[in-house]
Amino acid sequence: MARFRIPLIIAIVLFISGLALTAALKDRHYMLLSLVLLLAALLPVFIRLERRPLESRELVLLAVLSAIAAVSRIPFAALPSVKPVSAIVILSAYVFGAEAGFIIGAVAALVSNIYFGQGPWTPWQMFAWGMVGLSAGWLRNAWWMKKRSGMLIFGFVWGFLFGWIMNIWYIISLPDASSWGLVAAAYASSFYFDLAHALSNVFFLAILAGGWTKVLERFRKKYGLLQE
Amino acid sequence: MSSGFRAMHPAVALLYYGGLMLFAALLFHPLFLVTEIAGLAGLLLLQGQGRQLLRGLPFYLLMAGSVAVLNPLFSHRGAHILFYFWDQPVTLEAVLYGLMMMLVLLTIFIIFISYNYTVTTDKFMYLFAAAAPKTALLTLMALRFVPLFQRRLRQITLIQRLRGIDAGQGSLRKRMQDGMTLLKVLLTWSLEEALQTGDSMKARGYGIRKRSTYSIFKLDRLDKGILLVLTVSGLIPLLGWLQGYGILEIYPRMKPMEFGGGEVVMYISFCLFVLTPLGLEGKEKWLWRSSRQSAYPSVIPEKSGTRSMSSHSQ
Repeated sequence: MARFRIPLIIAIVLFISGLALTAALKDRHYMLLSLVLLLAALLPVFIRLERRPLESRELVLLAVLSAIAAVSRIPFAALPSVKPVSAIVILSAYVFGAEAGFIIGAVAALVSNIYFGQGPWTPWQMFAWGMVGLSAGWLRNAWWMKKRSGMLIFGFVWGFLFGWIMNIWYIISLPDASSWGLVAAAYASSFYFDLAHALSNVFFLAILAGGWTKVLERFRKKYGLLQE
Repeated sequence: MSSGFRAMHPAVALLYYGGLMLFAALLFHPLFLVTEIAGLAGLLLLQGQGRQLLRGLPFYLLMAGSVAVLNPLFSHRGAHILFYFWDQPVTLEAVLYGLMMMLVLLTIFIIFISYNYTVTTDKFMYLFAAAAPKTALLTLMALRFVPLFQRRLRQITLIQRLRGIDAGQGSLRKRMQDGMTLLKVLLTWSLEEALQTGDSMKARGYGIRKRSTYSIFKLDRLDKGILLVLTVSGLIPLLGWLQGYGILEIYPRMKPMEFGGGEVVMYISFCLFVLTPLGLEGKEKWLWRSSRQSAYPSVIPEKSGTRSMSSHSQ
Protein backbone atom coordinates (compact mmCIF):
# COMPACT_ATOMS: atom_id res chain seq x y z
CA MET A 1 0.00 0.00 0.00
CA ALA A 2 2.68 2.48 1.02
CA ARG A 3 4.66 1.79 -2.14
CA PHE A 4 1.81 2.81 -4.37
CA ARG A 5 0.90 5.85 -2.34
CA ILE A 6 2.70 8.51 -4.33
CA PRO A 7 1.70 7.25 -7.80
CA LEU A 8 -1.84 6.90 -6.46
CA ILE A 9 -1.85 10.49 -5.21
CA ILE A 10 -0.50 11.77 -8.52
CA ALA A 11 -3.12 9.82 -10.45
CA ILE A 12 -5.94 11.15 -8.26
CA VAL A 13 -4.66 14.72 -8.56
CA LEU A 14 -4.48 14.47 -12.35
CA PHE A 15 -7.93 12.92 -12.49
CA ILE A 16 -9.53 15.64 -10.38
CA SER A 17 -7.80 18.47 -12.20
CA GLY A 18 -8.98 16.97 -15.49
CA LEU A 19 -12.54 16.89 -14.20
CA ALA A 20 -12.20 20.43 -12.89
CA LEU A 21 -10.99 21.70 -16.22
CA THR A 22 -13.81 19.95 -18.06
CA ALA A 23 -16.37 21.41 -15.67
CA ALA A 24 -14.99 24.89 -16.12
CA LEU A 25 -14.88 24.71 -19.90
CA LYS A 26 -18.10 22.81 -20.44
CA ASP A 27 -20.49 24.21 -17.88
CA ARG A 28 -18.71 27.35 -16.73
CA HIS A 29 -18.68 25.82 -13.28
CA TYR A 30 -15.54 27.11 -11.65
CA MET A 31 -15.83 25.89 -8.07
CA LEU A 32 -13.75 22.76 -8.48
CA LEU A 33 -11.17 24.44 -10.68
CA SER A 34 -10.64 27.19 -8.11
CA LEU A 35 -9.98 24.61 -5.40
CA VAL A 36 -7.51 22.70 -7.58
CA LEU A 37 -5.64 25.89 -8.47
CA LEU A 38 -5.56 26.92 -4.83
CA LEU A 39 -4.05 23.63 -3.75
CA ALA A 40 -1.56 23.92 -6.59
CA ALA A 41 -0.56 27.31 -5.21
CA LEU A 42 -0.05 25.88 -1.72
CA LEU A 43 1.89 22.88 -2.92
CA PRO A 44 5.31 24.29 -3.97
CA VAL A 45 6.17 25.71 -0.55
CA PHE A 46 5.15 22.53 1.21
CA ILE A 47 7.11 20.40 -1.26
CA ARG A 48 10.15 22.55 -0.55
CA LEU A 49 9.58 22.08 3.15
CA GLU A 50 9.55 18.31 2.66
CA ARG A 51 12.68 18.32 0.53
CA ARG A 52 15.08 20.66 2.21
CA PRO A 53 17.18 19.44 5.10
CA LEU A 54 15.50 20.91 8.14
CA GLU A 55 16.87 20.89 11.66
CA SER A 56 14.47 19.56 14.25
CA ARG A 57 14.88 22.88 16.07
CA GLU A 58 13.62 24.77 13.07
CA LEU A 59 10.66 22.45 12.66
CA VAL A 60 9.73 22.95 16.31
CA LEU A 61 10.16 26.70 15.97
CA LEU A 62 7.73 26.81 13.05
CA ALA A 63 5.27 24.70 15.06
CA VAL A 64 5.49 27.03 18.07
CA LEU A 65 4.91 30.16 16.02
CA SER A 66 1.98 28.60 14.14
CA ALA A 67 0.48 27.43 17.41
CA ILE A 68 0.82 30.86 19.03
CA ALA A 69 -0.85 32.41 16.00
CA ALA A 70 -3.65 29.83 16.24
CA VAL A 71 -4.07 30.31 20.01
CA SER A 72 -4.27 34.06 19.60
CA ARG A 73 -7.42 33.60 17.52
CA ILE A 74 -9.32 31.85 20.31
CA PRO A 75 -9.88 34.72 22.83
CA PHE A 76 -11.24 36.89 20.01
CA ALA A 77 -13.53 34.23 18.56
CA ALA A 78 -16.62 36.24 19.47
CA LEU A 79 -15.52 39.29 17.48
CA PRO A 80 -15.68 38.68 13.73
CA SER A 81 -12.57 39.72 11.79
CA VAL A 82 -10.52 40.60 14.85
CA LYS A 83 -7.70 38.13 14.41
CA PRO A 84 -4.20 38.71 15.78
CA VAL A 85 -3.07 35.90 13.46
CA SER A 86 -2.12 38.28 10.67
CA ALA A 87 0.01 40.42 12.96
CA ILE A 88 1.86 37.42 14.37
CA VAL A 89 2.42 35.98 10.89
CA ILE A 90 3.78 39.31 9.65
CA LEU A 91 6.21 39.61 12.56
CA SER A 92 7.41 36.01 12.22
CA ALA A 93 7.95 36.42 8.50
CA TYR A 94 9.74 39.70 9.13
CA VAL A 95 12.31 37.86 11.22
CA PHE A 96 12.47 34.41 9.65
CA GLY A 97 11.82 35.11 5.98
CA ALA A 98 9.20 34.52 3.31
CA GLU A 99 9.08 30.76 3.22
CA ALA A 100 8.79 30.36 6.99
CA GLY A 101 6.14 33.06 6.96
CA PHE A 102 4.08 31.22 4.38
CA ILE A 103 4.25 27.97 6.30
CA ILE A 104 3.41 29.61 9.63
CA GLY A 105 0.40 31.37 8.10
CA ALA A 106 -0.92 28.29 6.32
CA VAL A 107 -0.44 25.93 9.29
CA ALA A 108 -1.97 28.48 11.68
CA ALA A 109 -5.08 28.62 9.49
CA LEU A 110 -5.33 24.83 9.27
CA VAL A 111 -4.79 24.28 13.00
CA SER A 112 -7.07 27.04 14.24
CA ASN A 113 -9.81 25.74 11.94
CA ILE A 114 -9.60 22.38 13.65
CA TYR A 115 -10.95 24.25 16.68
CA PHE A 116 -13.26 26.59 14.76
CA GLY A 117 -14.51 24.02 12.24
CA GLN A 118 -13.20 23.23 8.80
CA GLY A 119 -15.15 24.43 5.82
CA PRO A 120 -14.76 25.36 2.18
CA TRP A 121 -12.98 28.47 3.44
CA THR A 122 -10.05 26.55 4.98
CA PRO A 123 -7.86 26.35 1.84
CA TRP A 124 -8.61 30.00 1.08
CA GLN A 125 -7.59 31.05 4.58
CA MET A 126 -4.47 28.92 4.34
CA PHE A 127 -3.64 30.64 1.08
CA ALA A 128 -4.46 34.14 2.30
CA TRP A 129 -2.46 33.91 5.53
CA GLY A 130 0.32 32.15 3.68
CA MET A 131 0.48 35.08 1.29
CA VAL A 132 0.52 37.51 4.23
CA GLY A 133 3.64 35.76 5.47
CA LEU A 134 5.20 35.41 2.04
CA SER A 135 4.82 39.08 1.15
CA ALA A 136 6.01 40.23 4.58
CA GLY A 137 9.09 38.05 4.14
CA TRP A 138 9.80 39.37 0.67
CA LEU A 139 9.49 42.97 1.72
CA ARG A 140 11.36 42.68 4.99
CA ASN A 141 14.44 44.38 3.61
CA ALA A 142 12.55 47.30 2.11
CA TRP A 143 13.41 50.56 3.84
CA TRP A 144 9.82 51.39 4.76
CA MET A 145 9.19 47.98 6.29
CA LYS A 146 11.92 48.58 8.83
CA LYS A 147 10.04 51.61 10.06
CA ARG A 148 7.24 51.19 12.53
CA SER A 149 4.76 53.21 10.49
CA GLY A 150 5.63 51.28 7.32
CA MET A 151 4.86 47.98 8.98
CA LEU A 152 1.59 49.32 10.38
CA ILE A 153 0.51 50.45 6.90
CA PHE A 154 1.50 47.04 5.54
CA GLY A 155 -0.72 45.38 8.15
CA PHE A 156 -3.57 47.74 7.35
CA VAL A 157 -3.40 46.98 3.62
CA TRP A 158 -3.33 43.25 4.26
CA GLY A 159 -6.45 43.54 6.39
CA PHE A 160 -8.31 44.52 3.23
CA LEU A 161 -6.44 42.18 0.88
CA PHE A 162 -7.25 39.26 3.15
CA GLY A 163 -10.95 40.03 3.03
CA TRP A 164 -10.81 40.42 -0.75
CA ILE A 165 -9.15 37.06 -1.20
CA MET A 166 -11.76 35.49 1.05
CA ASN A 167 -14.53 37.06 -1.05
CA ILE A 168 -13.35 35.25 -4.17
CA TRP A 169 -14.62 31.82 -3.22
CA TYR A 170 -18.01 33.32 -2.75
CA ILE A 171 -18.09 35.30 -5.99
CA ILE A 172 -16.79 32.39 -8.01
CA SER A 173 -19.99 30.44 -7.36
CA LEU A 174 -21.91 32.90 -9.53
CA PRO A 175 -20.13 32.81 -12.90
CA ASP A 176 -22.90 34.50 -14.83
CA ALA A 177 -23.35 37.32 -12.42
CA SER A 178 -19.69 38.12 -12.00
CA SER A 179 -20.02 41.60 -13.34
CA TRP A 180 -18.29 44.54 -11.71
CA GLY A 181 -21.60 45.22 -10.02
CA LEU A 182 -21.52 41.94 -8.10
CA VAL A 183 -17.87 42.37 -7.21
CA ALA A 184 -18.58 45.86 -5.95
CA ALA A 185 -21.59 44.66 -3.96
CA ALA A 186 -19.67 41.79 -2.37
CA TYR A 187 -16.73 44.01 -1.48
CA ALA A 188 -18.96 46.76 -0.19
CA SER A 189 -20.81 44.31 2.05
CA SER A 190 -17.56 43.02 3.48
CA PHE A 191 -16.11 46.53 3.91
CA TYR A 192 -16.76 46.85 7.62
CA PHE A 193 -15.37 43.40 8.35
CA ASP A 194 -12.27 44.18 6.32
CA LEU A 195 -11.91 47.51 8.05
CA ALA A 196 -12.17 45.83 11.45
CA HIS A 197 -9.51 43.33 10.40
CA ALA A 198 -7.24 46.10 9.09
CA LEU A 199 -7.61 48.20 12.23
CA SER A 200 -7.05 45.21 14.50
CA ASN A 201 -3.91 44.41 12.50
CA VAL A 202 -2.61 47.90 13.12
CA PHE A 203 -3.53 47.62 16.79
CA PHE A 204 -1.83 44.28 17.32
CA LEU A 205 1.22 45.22 15.28
CA ALA A 206 1.55 48.43 17.29
CA ILE A 207 1.44 46.43 20.53
CA LEU A 208 3.69 43.60 19.46
CA ALA A 209 6.12 45.05 16.93
CA GLY A 210 9.10 46.16 19.00
CA GLY A 211 9.12 43.50 21.68
CA TRP A 212 8.39 40.49 19.52
CA THR A 213 10.89 41.19 16.80
CA LYS A 214 13.53 41.65 19.49
CA VAL A 215 12.72 38.30 21.11
CA LEU A 216 12.54 36.47 17.79
CA GLU A 217 15.77 38.04 16.50
CA ARG A 218 17.51 36.99 19.67
CA PHE A 219 16.34 33.40 19.35
CA ARG A 220 17.36 33.38 15.74
CA LYS A 221 20.83 34.58 16.54
CA LYS A 222 21.34 32.48 19.65
CA TYR A 223 20.36 29.18 18.07
CA GLY A 224 21.28 29.95 14.47
CA LEU A 225 17.78 29.20 13.21
CA LEU A 226 16.63 29.46 9.58
CA GLN A 227 19.63 31.45 8.46
CA GLU A 228 19.60 31.91 4.73
CA MET B 1 -17.70 6.36 21.09
CA SER B 2 -17.21 5.22 17.58
CA SER B 3 -19.04 2.57 15.71
CA GLY B 4 -20.53 2.11 12.29
CA PHE B 5 -19.18 4.46 9.66
CA ARG B 6 -16.88 6.26 12.10
CA ALA B 7 -15.08 3.02 12.89
CA MET B 8 -14.19 2.34 9.28
CA HIS B 9 -10.70 2.75 7.87
CA PRO B 10 -9.82 6.44 7.16
CA ALA B 11 -9.35 5.69 3.48
CA VAL B 12 -13.03 4.78 3.23
CA ALA B 13 -14.07 8.07 4.81
CA LEU B 14 -11.68 10.02 2.60
CA LEU B 15 -13.01 8.34 -0.55
CA TYR B 16 -16.57 9.00 0.58
CA TYR B 17 -16.12 12.69 1.36
CA GLY B 18 -13.87 13.28 -1.65
CA GLY B 19 -16.49 11.70 -3.88
CA LEU B 20 -19.26 13.76 -2.32
CA MET B 21 -17.27 16.96 -2.89
CA LEU B 22 -16.73 16.01 -6.52
CA PHE B 23 -20.42 15.28 -7.02
CA ALA B 24 -21.41 18.53 -5.34
CA ALA B 25 -19.09 20.48 -7.62
CA LEU B 26 -19.93 18.60 -10.83
CA LEU B 27 -23.47 17.22 -10.85
CA PHE B 28 -25.51 20.33 -11.41
CA HIS B 29 -28.92 18.82 -10.94
CA PRO B 30 -31.41 19.48 -8.13
CA LEU B 31 -32.33 15.82 -7.66
CA PHE B 32 -28.72 14.76 -7.09
CA LEU B 33 -27.98 17.66 -4.78
CA VAL B 34 -31.11 17.17 -2.71
CA THR B 35 -30.35 13.46 -2.43
CA GLU B 36 -26.86 14.27 -1.22
CA ILE B 37 -28.14 16.72 1.39
CA ALA B 38 -30.80 14.29 2.57
CA GLY B 39 -28.34 11.39 2.73
CA LEU B 40 -25.84 13.35 4.78
CA ALA B 41 -28.50 14.80 7.06
CA GLY B 42 -29.76 11.25 7.64
CA LEU B 43 -26.24 10.06 8.43
CA LEU B 44 -25.74 12.92 10.90
CA LEU B 45 -29.07 12.19 12.58
CA LEU B 46 -28.26 8.48 12.87
CA GLN B 47 -24.94 9.43 14.46
CA GLY B 48 -26.77 11.63 16.96
CA GLN B 49 -25.42 14.89 15.54
CA GLY B 50 -28.74 16.61 14.92
CA ARG B 51 -27.92 19.38 17.39
CA GLN B 52 -24.63 20.12 15.62
CA LEU B 53 -26.51 20.36 12.35
CA LEU B 54 -29.07 22.78 13.77
CA ARG B 55 -26.44 24.99 15.38
CA GLY B 56 -24.69 25.83 12.13
CA LEU B 57 -27.87 26.09 10.10
CA PRO B 58 -28.65 29.84 10.41
CA PHE B 59 -25.16 30.84 9.29
CA TYR B 60 -25.18 28.42 6.38
CA LEU B 61 -28.68 29.42 5.28
CA LEU B 62 -27.70 33.08 5.38
CA MET B 63 -24.55 32.45 3.38
CA ALA B 64 -26.20 30.24 0.78
CA GLY B 65 -29.42 32.25 0.70
CA SER B 66 -27.58 35.43 -0.19
CA VAL B 67 -26.25 33.70 -3.31
CA ALA B 68 -29.80 32.93 -4.35
CA VAL B 69 -30.72 36.59 -3.91
CA LEU B 70 -27.61 38.06 -5.50
CA ASN B 71 -27.66 36.05 -8.71
CA PRO B 72 -30.93 37.36 -10.19
CA LEU B 73 -29.97 40.90 -9.22
CA PHE B 74 -26.73 40.83 -11.17
CA SER B 75 -27.27 38.27 -13.88
CA HIS B 76 -29.77 39.20 -16.56
CA ARG B 77 -29.38 36.32 -18.96
CA GLY B 78 -32.31 34.14 -19.83
CA ALA B 79 -35.44 34.25 -21.91
CA HIS B 80 -38.27 34.41 -19.36
CA ILE B 81 -38.49 37.81 -17.76
CA LEU B 82 -40.44 37.71 -14.53
CA PHE B 83 -40.51 41.38 -13.57
CA TYR B 84 -38.39 44.50 -13.50
CA PHE B 85 -36.46 45.57 -10.47
CA TRP B 86 -34.94 49.06 -10.64
CA ASP B 87 -35.31 48.90 -14.40
CA GLN B 88 -33.34 45.68 -14.52
CA PRO B 89 -34.98 42.52 -15.80
CA VAL B 90 -35.19 39.65 -13.32
CA THR B 91 -35.29 36.43 -15.29
CA LEU B 92 -36.64 33.05 -14.32
CA GLU B 93 -33.36 31.45 -15.37
CA ALA B 94 -31.32 33.67 -13.09
CA VAL B 95 -33.61 32.93 -10.14
CA LEU B 96 -33.36 29.19 -10.76
CA TYR B 97 -29.60 29.36 -11.18
CA GLY B 98 -29.29 31.23 -7.90
CA LEU B 99 -31.39 28.59 -6.16
CA MET B 100 -29.22 25.85 -7.66
CA MET B 101 -26.06 27.53 -6.43
CA MET B 102 -27.68 27.80 -3.03
CA LEU B 103 -28.20 24.04 -3.06
CA VAL B 104 -24.58 23.49 -4.10
CA LEU B 105 -23.29 25.65 -1.24
CA LEU B 106 -25.61 23.97 1.28
CA THR B 107 -24.37 20.59 0.08
CA ILE B 108 -20.76 21.64 0.58
CA PHE B 109 -21.50 22.99 4.05
CA ILE B 110 -23.25 19.81 5.14
CA ILE B 111 -20.41 17.70 3.72
CA PHE B 112 -18.05 19.60 5.99
CA ILE B 113 -20.26 19.21 9.07
CA SER B 114 -20.30 15.47 8.54
CA TYR B 115 -16.59 15.43 7.68
CA ASN B 116 -15.67 17.27 10.88
CA TYR B 117 -17.48 14.62 12.88
CA THR B 118 -16.26 11.53 11.05
CA VAL B 119 -12.69 12.30 9.99
CA THR B 120 -11.00 13.28 13.22
CA THR B 121 -7.58 14.90 13.12
CA ASP B 122 -5.69 11.70 13.87
CA LYS B 123 -7.31 9.99 10.89
CA PHE B 124 -6.48 12.89 8.62
CA MET B 125 -2.89 12.87 9.83
CA TYR B 126 -2.67 9.11 9.41
CA LEU B 127 -3.56 9.49 5.76
CA PHE B 128 -1.03 12.23 5.08
CA ALA B 129 1.80 11.31 7.41
CA ALA B 130 3.37 8.95 4.88
CA ALA B 131 3.05 11.32 1.94
CA ALA B 132 4.24 14.46 3.72
CA PRO B 133 5.95 13.49 6.98
CA LYS B 134 7.40 16.90 7.86
CA THR B 135 4.21 18.82 7.19
CA ALA B 136 2.24 16.25 9.17
CA LEU B 137 4.66 16.43 12.10
CA LEU B 138 4.61 20.22 12.01
CA THR B 139 0.81 20.33 12.01
CA LEU B 140 0.51 17.74 14.76
CA MET B 141 2.98 19.59 16.97
CA ALA B 142 1.19 22.89 16.41
CA LEU B 143 -2.08 21.15 17.23
CA ARG B 144 -0.69 19.77 20.44
CA PHE B 145 0.74 23.17 21.44
CA VAL B 146 -2.63 24.91 21.27
CA PRO B 147 -4.12 23.53 24.52
CA LEU B 148 -0.67 23.62 26.17
CA PHE B 149 -0.23 27.31 25.41
CA GLN B 150 -3.72 28.11 26.63
CA ARG B 151 -2.89 26.49 29.97
CA ARG B 152 0.44 28.29 30.10
CA LEU B 153 -1.13 31.65 29.39
CA ARG B 154 -3.54 31.11 32.29
CA GLN B 155 -0.62 30.27 34.58
CA ILE B 156 1.35 33.31 33.46
CA THR B 157 -1.67 35.55 34.01
CA LEU B 158 -2.12 34.23 37.55
CA ILE B 159 1.50 34.73 38.47
CA GLN B 160 1.99 38.13 36.86
CA ARG B 161 -1.14 39.42 38.56
CA LEU B 162 0.77 39.30 41.85
CA ARG B 163 3.26 41.73 40.35
CA GLY B 164 0.44 44.06 39.37
CA ILE B 165 0.60 43.12 35.70
CA ASP B 166 -2.96 42.44 34.71
CA ALA B 167 -4.47 42.88 31.28
CA GLY B 168 -7.92 43.23 32.81
CA GLN B 169 -7.34 46.33 34.94
CA GLY B 170 -6.17 49.88 34.63
CA SER B 171 -6.10 52.37 31.80
CA LEU B 172 -6.16 51.23 28.20
CA ARG B 173 -2.50 52.02 27.75
CA LYS B 174 -1.48 49.99 30.78
CA ARG B 175 -3.70 47.10 29.77
CA MET B 176 -2.18 46.99 26.31
CA GLN B 177 1.33 47.02 27.73
CA ASP B 178 0.45 44.33 30.24
CA GLY B 179 -1.15 42.16 27.59
CA MET B 180 2.03 42.45 25.56
CA THR B 181 4.14 41.48 28.56
CA LEU B 182 2.02 38.37 29.11
CA LEU B 183 2.30 37.33 25.47
CA LYS B 184 6.03 37.96 25.47
CA VAL B 185 6.49 35.73 28.50
CA LEU B 186 4.47 33.04 26.73
CA LEU B 187 6.59 33.40 23.61
CA THR B 188 9.96 33.21 25.33
CA TRP B 189 8.95 30.39 27.63
CA SER B 190 7.47 28.32 24.82
CA LEU B 191 10.30 28.95 22.39
CA GLU B 192 12.96 28.11 24.94
CA GLU B 193 11.22 24.89 25.88
CA ALA B 194 10.38 23.96 22.31
CA LEU B 195 14.00 24.29 21.26
CA GLN B 196 14.90 21.86 24.01
CA THR B 197 12.33 19.51 22.55
CA GLY B 198 13.99 19.94 19.19
CA ASP B 199 17.40 19.13 20.62
CA SER B 200 15.97 16.12 22.36
CA MET B 201 14.46 14.93 19.08
CA LYS B 202 17.83 15.31 17.42
CA ALA B 203 19.59 13.44 20.19
CA ARG B 204 17.20 10.56 19.67
CA GLY B 205 18.01 10.43 15.99
CA TYR B 206 15.34 12.49 14.27
CA GLY B 207 16.25 13.16 10.65
CA ILE B 208 18.90 10.45 10.33
CA ARG B 209 16.87 8.43 7.92
CA LYS B 210 13.41 8.38 6.46
CA ARG B 211 10.76 8.58 9.08
CA SER B 212 8.83 5.38 9.58
CA THR B 213 5.13 5.63 10.21
CA TYR B 214 3.11 3.66 12.65
CA SER B 215 -0.16 2.62 11.18
CA ILE B 216 -2.87 2.18 13.71
CA PHE B 217 -5.62 1.39 11.23
CA LYS B 218 -5.91 -1.85 9.34
CA LEU B 219 -7.88 -2.52 6.21
CA ASP B 220 -10.10 -5.48 6.97
CA ARG B 221 -12.42 -7.29 4.61
CA LEU B 222 -15.39 -5.07 5.23
CA ASP B 223 -13.26 -1.97 4.56
CA LYS B 224 -11.99 -3.40 1.28
CA GLY B 225 -15.49 -4.38 0.23
CA ILE B 226 -16.86 -0.93 1.00
CA LEU B 227 -13.95 0.71 -0.82
CA LEU B 228 -14.78 -1.36 -3.88
CA VAL B 229 -18.49 -0.56 -3.68
CA LEU B 230 -17.81 3.15 -3.28
CA THR B 231 -15.29 3.25 -6.13
CA VAL B 232 -17.55 1.45 -8.60
CA SER B 233 -20.72 3.25 -7.63
CA GLY B 234 -18.87 6.54 -7.65
CA LEU B 235 -17.32 6.09 -11.07
CA ILE B 236 -20.63 5.41 -12.81
CA PRO B 237 -22.12 8.87 -12.15
CA LEU B 238 -18.80 10.49 -13.11
CA LEU B 239 -18.75 8.61 -16.41
CA GLY B 240 -22.37 9.59 -16.96
CA TRP B 241 -21.46 13.19 -16.24
CA LEU B 242 -18.68 13.05 -18.84
CA GLN B 243 -21.28 11.80 -21.32
CA GLY B 244 -23.40 14.82 -20.55
CA TYR B 245 -26.04 13.30 -18.30
CA GLY B 246 -27.17 14.69 -15.01
CA ILE B 247 -26.80 18.36 -15.79
CA LEU B 248 -29.62 20.82 -15.69
CA GLU B 249 -29.10 23.36 -18.40
CA ILE B 250 -30.42 26.73 -17.32
CA TYR B 251 -28.45 29.25 -19.34
CA PRO B 252 -28.92 30.61 -21.94
CA ARG B 253 -32.37 29.09 -22.11
CA MET B 254 -33.88 26.68 -19.68
CA LYS B 255 -34.31 23.19 -21.00
CA PRO B 256 -36.90 20.80 -19.67
CA MET B 257 -35.47 18.24 -17.30
CA GLU B 258 -34.92 14.97 -19.05
CA PHE B 259 -34.88 11.81 -17.10
CA GLY B 260 -34.03 9.00 -19.46
CA GLY B 261 -32.34 5.62 -19.04
CA GLY B 262 -28.87 7.08 -18.59
CA GLU B 263 -30.02 9.31 -15.79
CA VAL B 264 -31.81 6.47 -14.03
CA VAL B 265 -28.70 4.25 -14.00
CA MET B 266 -26.64 7.19 -12.86
CA TYR B 267 -29.06 8.09 -10.10
CA ILE B 268 -29.29 4.55 -8.76
CA SER B 269 -25.54 4.25 -8.64
CA PHE B 270 -25.29 7.68 -7.04
CA CYS B 271 -27.81 6.68 -4.37
CA LEU B 272 -25.77 3.57 -3.62
CA PHE B 273 -22.69 5.74 -3.12
CA VAL B 274 -24.40 8.30 -0.91
CA LEU B 275 -26.39 5.85 1.19
CA THR B 276 -23.72 3.18 1.86
CA PRO B 277 -22.54 4.78 5.16
CA LEU B 278 -26.15 5.13 6.22
CA GLY B 279 -26.54 1.42 5.70
CA LEU B 280 -23.46 0.70 7.81
CA GLU B 281 -24.66 3.00 10.55
CA GLY B 282 -28.17 1.61 10.44
CA LYS B 283 -26.91 -1.97 10.58
CA GLU B 284 -24.94 -1.14 13.70
CA LYS B 285 -27.99 0.43 15.33
CA TRP B 286 -30.13 -2.55 14.43
CA LEU B 287 -27.60 -5.08 15.74
CA TRP B 288 -27.34 -3.16 18.99
CA ARG B 289 -31.07 -3.12 19.46
CA SER B 290 -31.63 -6.73 18.60
CA SER B 291 -28.66 -7.96 20.67
CA ARG B 292 -29.91 -6.52 23.91
CA GLN B 293 -32.18 -9.32 24.95
CA SER B 294 -31.19 -12.64 23.55
CA ALA B 295 -28.04 -12.67 21.43
CA TYR B 296 -25.50 -12.74 24.26
CA PRO B 297 -26.90 -14.83 27.10
CA SER B 298 -25.32 -14.22 30.47
CA VAL B 299 -22.83 -16.77 31.80
CA ILE B 300 -24.45 -16.73 35.20
CA PRO B 301 -27.37 -19.09 35.00
CA GLU B 302 -30.61 -17.30 35.39
CA LYS B 303 -32.68 -18.60 38.17
CA SER B 304 -36.10 -19.37 37.07
CA GLY B 305 -39.18 -19.50 39.15
CA THR B 306 -39.30 -17.82 42.52
CA ARG B 307 -36.87 -15.13 43.65
CA SER B 308 -34.76 -17.29 45.93
CA MET B 309 -32.68 -14.53 47.58
CA SER B 310 -35.56 -12.51 48.82
CA SER B 311 -37.56 -15.51 49.81
CA HIS B 312 -34.61 -16.84 51.81
CA SER B 313 -34.26 -13.71 53.87
CA GLN B 314 -37.85 -13.70 54.83
